[in-house]
Amino acid sequence: MALSSTLPPRLREESRRIEEVARAFGLDFFPVVFEMLDAKDVNAIAAYGGFPVRYPSWRFGMDFERLEKGRTYGLSKIYELVINNDPTYAYLVRTNTDMEQKLVMAHVFGHADFFRHNLWFAPTERNMLDRMASHGTRLSRAIDERGADTVEIFLDRALSLDNLVDPFLPLAEHLRRRKRETEPASHAERARRNLEALIDPRSAAKQAEPEPLSGAVTLPTFDVLGFLLEKAPLERWERDVLRMVRAEAYYFMPQRMTKIMNEGWASFWHSRILTSGVLAESEIVDFADCHSGATATASGQLNPYKLGIELYRHAEEQGYDLFRLRRAHNDTSFIDELVDEDFARTNQLFLFGKNARTGRTEVLDRDWREIKEKLLQDLSWGGLPQIELVEENHEGRGELLLLHRHDGRDLQLMHAAETLKHVARIWKKPVHLLTLEEGQGKKLTCDGETIKASDAVVPGAKPASEAG
Amino acid sequence: MYRIERDRSRFREIVRGKLRKDLRRYLSTSELLGRRGEHTVSIPVPQIELPRFHFGENKKGGVGQGPGEKGDPLGGEAKEGDGAGAAGEHEGQHVMEVEVELEELAEMLGKELELPDIQPRGERHLLAEGGRFTGIRSHGPKSLRHFRRTFKNALRRTIAAGEWDPAEPRVVPIADDERFRMQKSCPQPDSSAVIFHVMDVSGSMGREQKDIVRIKAFWIDTWLRSQYKNLEVVYIVHDAVAKIVDQDAFFHLRESGGTKISSAYELVLQLVLDKYRPEDWNIYPFHYSDGDNWSARDTERCVTLLRDELLPRVNQFCYGQVKSAYGSGQFKKDLDSALEGNERLVTASINDREGIPEAIRAFLGKGR
Repeated sequence: MALSSTLPPRLREESRRIEEVARAFGLDFFPVVFEMLDAKDVNAIAAYGGFPVRYPSWRFGMDFERLEKGRTYGLSKIYELVINNDPTYAYLVRTNTDMEQKLVMAHVFGHADFFRHNLWFAPTERNMLDRMASHGTRLSRAIDERGADTVEIFLDRALSLDNLVDPFLPLAEHLRRRKRETEPASHAERARRNLEALIDPRSAAKQAEPEPLSGAVTLPTFDVLGFLLEKAPLERWERDVLRMVRAEAYYFMPQRMTKIMNEGWASFWHSRILTSGVLAESEIVDFADCHSGATATASGQLNPYKLGIELYRHAEEQGYDLFRLRRAHNDTSFIDELVDEDFARTNQLFLFGKNARTGRTEVLDRDWREIKEKLLQDLSWGGLPQIELVEENHEGRGELLLLHRHDGRDLQLMHAAETLKHVARIWKKPVHLLTLEEGQGKKLTCDGETIKASDAVVPGAKPASEAG
Repeated sequence: MYRIERDRSRFREIVRGKLRKDLRRYLSTSELLGRRGEHTVSIPVPQIELPRFHFGENKKGGVGQGPGEKGDPLGGEAKEGDGAGAAGEHEGQHVMEVEVELEELAEMLGKELELPDIQPRGERHLLAEGGRFTGIRSHGPKSLRHFRRTFKNALRRTIAAGEWDPAEPRVVPIADDERFRMQKSCPQPDSSAVIFHVMDVSGSMGREQKDIVRIKAFWIDTWLRSQYKNLEVVYIVHDAVAKIVDQDAFFHLRESGGTKISSAYELVLQLVLDKYRPEDWNIYPFHYSDGDNWSARDTERCVTLLRDELLPRVNQFCYGQVKSAYGSGQFKKDLDSALEGNERLVTASINDREGIPEAIRAFLGKGR
């Protein structure tokens, strides 16, 4: 990079001032480091999910290609990019105006506070920047030893399973561990810990690593990746790749589960911070324009910025403690707590869907209970289907049995079948998936190459008449 | 940023692999037409995504925000259930456009159809004046003024004259100081080619027949463009009379009426004699018709024109006969029997789209 990525003094001064205002409002965060980059470099980092150094993969190249197309043709533009890390890194696009930079900074302080204090982020790796870089190194080493093609094939396999994790596992383990730590430990336990810390300070630090890798995975489990990591017949480097993919999946999961809360929180605070004297009068109109652009709604799509900020405003009117809300909730519980008739009406929420008769997509309902239920369903489990590993020795043949916990929404079966192939290739034995298609129980069986589908009785499924 | 460029080129490599695999399909569809820029073609490829478990179609709608009564249709392109927060969930069939260099596409084509490179005809090499502004001279247009050189001269003169004042470092160039960029000519070997796409647009050539011609023309252009630095394309349509048209008209025109093929051959000959002389140009006429000529006498005239005038002057004359419901297909038979053994004439019949790759190979497979 030809130009320095540090902020020019003018903006450094602004960031200091905005930080002061943010702290005065009660926001609290790890140190925030702003870097200023050209739009193209920001796109590159965005393609890597915010991290300047990651393992090599064509998928990042594809995302970059798409972002760059959007930028070149003026279709899209990245404003903010911030990563959950200590210190918290955020990237500013060099070509943005000063008003935009200030907006982004204020917004970033909101995210940084959220990262630090939202409960779901508590178990996340706070040194992810280095961790990602080390994943890069490890993968490059594997490539040196095994060749790029071999590693790429396995990596793609692992990545296609990266949503087979249990979103609630890290927090549950975190809380259990914390409980254990605060409980008065037995004398022997205390002595053992002290000794370990003395012998190898690093191993003690490692123990504290908030990674849900401890202990044997017991069935049934949603942590399919964790199970494969432990039990699949893998070579060492393969296990290492799987471990990285899983660690990254768990790192990103809380962001998935709190998208509305997180964006809402950041928008709520950037708006409040900027309008308490940070912006010059001449900048207010541009700011309003920019802000309303970010919170604009298009019918048929919910804007997390808009929904989020309105939820906090609604909560404030109702006398909630906003800081406690942002600490304890994820999107699902947040909406469960706050969406009521009044909110749905003021925000013009509606339920849409396809009219079976005309085939067009239209407004179906404005009943707030229905709307809320749909919202909760869409957001639950990070917006992913629940796939549970229920048997590891299916029919006594050492085959895996996965169960899709059907909630009225079918899987995309073609893709599910392809994904199942990857599970089988990693497990190296046939695997089965039970699911429903239009109310009919289905069993997909895959030996890694071919897929067989048969009708089946699926446990826990609603009767066909109710489902779908 | 080096790292991302590496990932990007790996992605492009994968896309190219897919493209290569699907090239046969592209060869017989009109998908790529109209996507050609000056140096690149943008090719739609289905986005390659990793498979994952995700919800399918019956996810049934979602929650939206805005005005509207129950039963009102959603404006714009409401995306199915992409509702709250779960954006990016639908790894569906987005189509992505990938830019591929024409040269590269031609290379794929060449590999797929095993086309030989074209051998230069005779010993002719044109010498073209290469134009690079590498020289300097003291006169020229202001737009080419070399600022740094000019300033240096002015500075040197100012200091030499003892007028330099560090406190007030003002330098005023005079006419003698000025320097200008100059184009230096460096002769380069060059080769030029002209393609004549001649199409019969009489009543019997239907839409499908024209599409086939269109697809063929696209690939032939692509190939020859990779073989010649300087390629010109002339589009000619004919029914009973022939005329030069632009590319757009060539592909969309619909005339009706009789067919006098000789009119087109005369026009090509005229152009070859006047403008695209064989001493300077590699000449490739392509003629597409359904093989129905107006009269046996006109066919005779065509044969004479070809044998005596055109064939001696061109690299190769290609006649592609597209099968149509109305055409008799007689013309190809006539040409074949009258001009049998003339290696500069290639004829091919194209029954349907599937026949396009073979016809391309017939036309370009000789390396002439």
